[in-house]
Amino acid sequence: MLILIGSNHRSAPVAVRERMSFPLQKLPEAHDGLLRAEGVQEGMILSTCNRVEILVRSAGEAGASAAAVKSFLAEQQNLSFEEIDRYTYQLVEGDAVRHLFSVASGLDSMIMGEPQILGQVKQAYQMGKENKTIGPVLDRLLQHCLSTAKKVRTDTGISRNAVSVAYAAVELARKIFGDLEGRSAMLLGAGEMGDLVGRHLVTNGASELIVCSRTFTNAVLRAEAMGGKAIHWEEALDHLRRVDILVSCTGASHAVLEKQDVAKALRGRRLGPLFLIDIAVPRDIDPRVNELNNVYLYDIDALQGVIESNLEERRLAAEHAKRMIGEEVMSFDRWIQSQEVTPLIVSLRETLLEVGEYELGRYRGRLGRLDDRQQKTVEELTRAIIQKILHRPIRRLRASVDRGDTLECTSLYREIFGMEQLDGEAGADPGDEAPSEASQDGPHRLLDGRNKGA
Amino acid sequence: MAASFLLPVTVIGYIVGIVLAILRTVYRSRTARRFASIVFAVTWIFHTVAVVREGIVEGRLPLANMAEYLLVLGWIVLTLHLYLWYRLEVEISGVVLLPLAAIMTFVSMELMRSEPARSAATPDGWFLFHTTVSTLGMAFLSVAFAMSVIYLVQDRVLKSKKAFRLLDRLPSLQKSDQIGVRSLTVGFILLTMGIGTGVVVNAEVHERLVVMGAKQIFPVLAWLVFAAILIFRPMLGFRGRKSAYLTIAGFALGLLTVIGMTL
Repeated sequence: MLILIGSNHRSAPVAVRERMSFPLQKLPEAHDGLLRAEGVQEGMILSTCNRVEILVRSAGEAGASAAAVKSFLAEQQNLSFEEIDRYTYQLVEGDAVRHLFSVASGLDSMIMGEPQILGQVKQAYQMGKENKTIGPVLDRLLQHCLSTAKKVRTDTGISRNAVSVAYAAVELARKIFGDLEGRSAMLLGAGEMGDLVGRHLVTNGASELIVCSRTFTNAVLRAEAMGGKAIHWEEALDHLRRVDILVSCTGASHAVLEKQDVAKALRGRRLGPLFLIDIAVPRDIDPRVNELNNVYLYDIDALQGVIESNLEERRLAAEHAKRMIGEEVMSFDRWIQSQEVTPLIVSLRETLLEVGEYELGRYRGRLGRLDDRQQKTVEELTRAIIQKILHRPIRRLRASVDRGDTLECTSLYREIFGMEQLDGEAGADPGDEAPSEASQDGPHRLLDGRNKGA
Repeated sequence: MAASFLLPVTVIGYIVGIVLAILRTVYRSRTARRFASIVFAVTWIFHTVAVVREGIVEGRLPLANMAEYLLVLGWIVLTLHLYLWYRLEVEISGVVLLPLAAIMTFVSMELMRSEPARSAATPDGWFLFHTTVSTLGMAFLSVAFAMSVIYLVQDRVLKSKKAFRLLDRLPSLQKSDQIGVRSLTVGFILLTMGIGTGVVVNAEVHERLVVMGAKQIFPVLAWLVFAAILIFRPMLGFRGRKSAYLTIAGFALGLLTVIGMTL
């Protein structure tokens, strides 16, 4: 039984989440403690700044196992049971699998589609393996989860578009220039947001960053911090002729860059497009600048429009992602069910072969003396009959995994073949004739033959 | 004449290819991309066979009349589209360039059907060179035209700050500009050679230089437009929308030349 107890930004306030989260150094000890919880066979702890998810596979009944995990959490993090009941959610089996897949794909994140969570799930999986709390089922589940999350990201593009002002500006710069390698940018003003955009531009390949502020010493300090070059305020227009991107974020109460200034700068310019990012309020750049050929001006509202459009794109991608996850959950469920079918098939074969051996032994006396060849032929005949009888039922049992009625099918088979009884006493119906003395060596040989032949 | 089934199958391939390219652009469907790649390849094979067969049947380079000219031009445009699609990852060319190739092939097919015996004299010498470079030039100018259209769409989206999602389906503005200018440069060189050799052919045929109409006037006008773009670009920073509009105008003049050839 798979059980997930979790808490995220929707279920708990940050004050509770920070108490619930596990510091990295505490995780090995926590994993040990998790395995000691009643009924827990395998377990994994995912702890990030926004969520704590504890996933376990337990042998016991769902309620008891969930209670054991909750008391583990309460004990580890000094939380009351009331707090845990109030701020956590509990999911079992398919719902737990679906939730885990959604989390890893970024569908459950505060910023939908954010990519960091996939790395965090990977890290939690690795941590579980290192602490030996991940067994065959969780191992399979986590591998399936990671590949699903990658597929979701690739196929739906849910993480593709920027949802912050700084990233939106970089994304737009890429739409204009393609690669930012070799591009130069100029920061106008001393706003923090401007610096953030500047840093993102440099991180994404811009090769030159010019910092211009009314106070030159301030420009020098910021340029040093960002690996750029400081210039005097008066030089800004001259540099406008040779830069590709201008980020303006001054605290001026009026426009600092008029249409004619930009038009004048363009006259002496031999380069490609000019991208102007105005994130100041009130705006620094005359909006009519956007009318100029080869100039693209984006103010804070326009950037917000890009973000809205991207969020809408992510919402659409999320619908596609949910459908994909639904299919993957079913695929994992089929694997789980196939794990239940395989032991039953083995048990079914063994049961019937034991019946065969038993009956062969009983009739050995009536057959008279058989030489080795005849003995082997009779055993092969018995095995062949059993295989023929089992062929169709086993095929139907295997097909039940795809049909999704494995549970009903396995209980029906157990009932029909009296498996519980036969498991306890092979050949429970000995019939009315007692086995002859000559049957002593018979039963073993049929099973041995099966083992060799099967 | 190309075998009767080759060109209809090629045209159907174009139509299916265009539909798949649109599906790929609108829905970003990977399946559409996969199928589009297969359809493009099959269409290219059929078109190639049609061109080769035409050459073998006629026993010469198939550039002696308008039907053959459009057949070969369509094939080169399709080949350039495949280069843009696979190599440069400009998938939107399937929506702009492919319809051009499709129209050329369709008109060629219709001309072959309506005038089955319109074989002209075997091109040789200067005439052969003239038709070859002119066809190649027009194909490259088609790419410049397509990239200008794409550029203008991007420019409109970026300026209007609407329909941002469309930008994800397009190459960057800079890439459109670069591919457009490179194609224009190659096309311009070939066009120059075509006009130069055209003058020689004209003088040879008429034993003096004869300026009769569209066939002579439009290519020269197109040449002047393209020359202006290429000269003023480095000198005056003549880029962006203006350059794109002029490229489209130049291509339109080129098309008028082609139409003029049929009159």
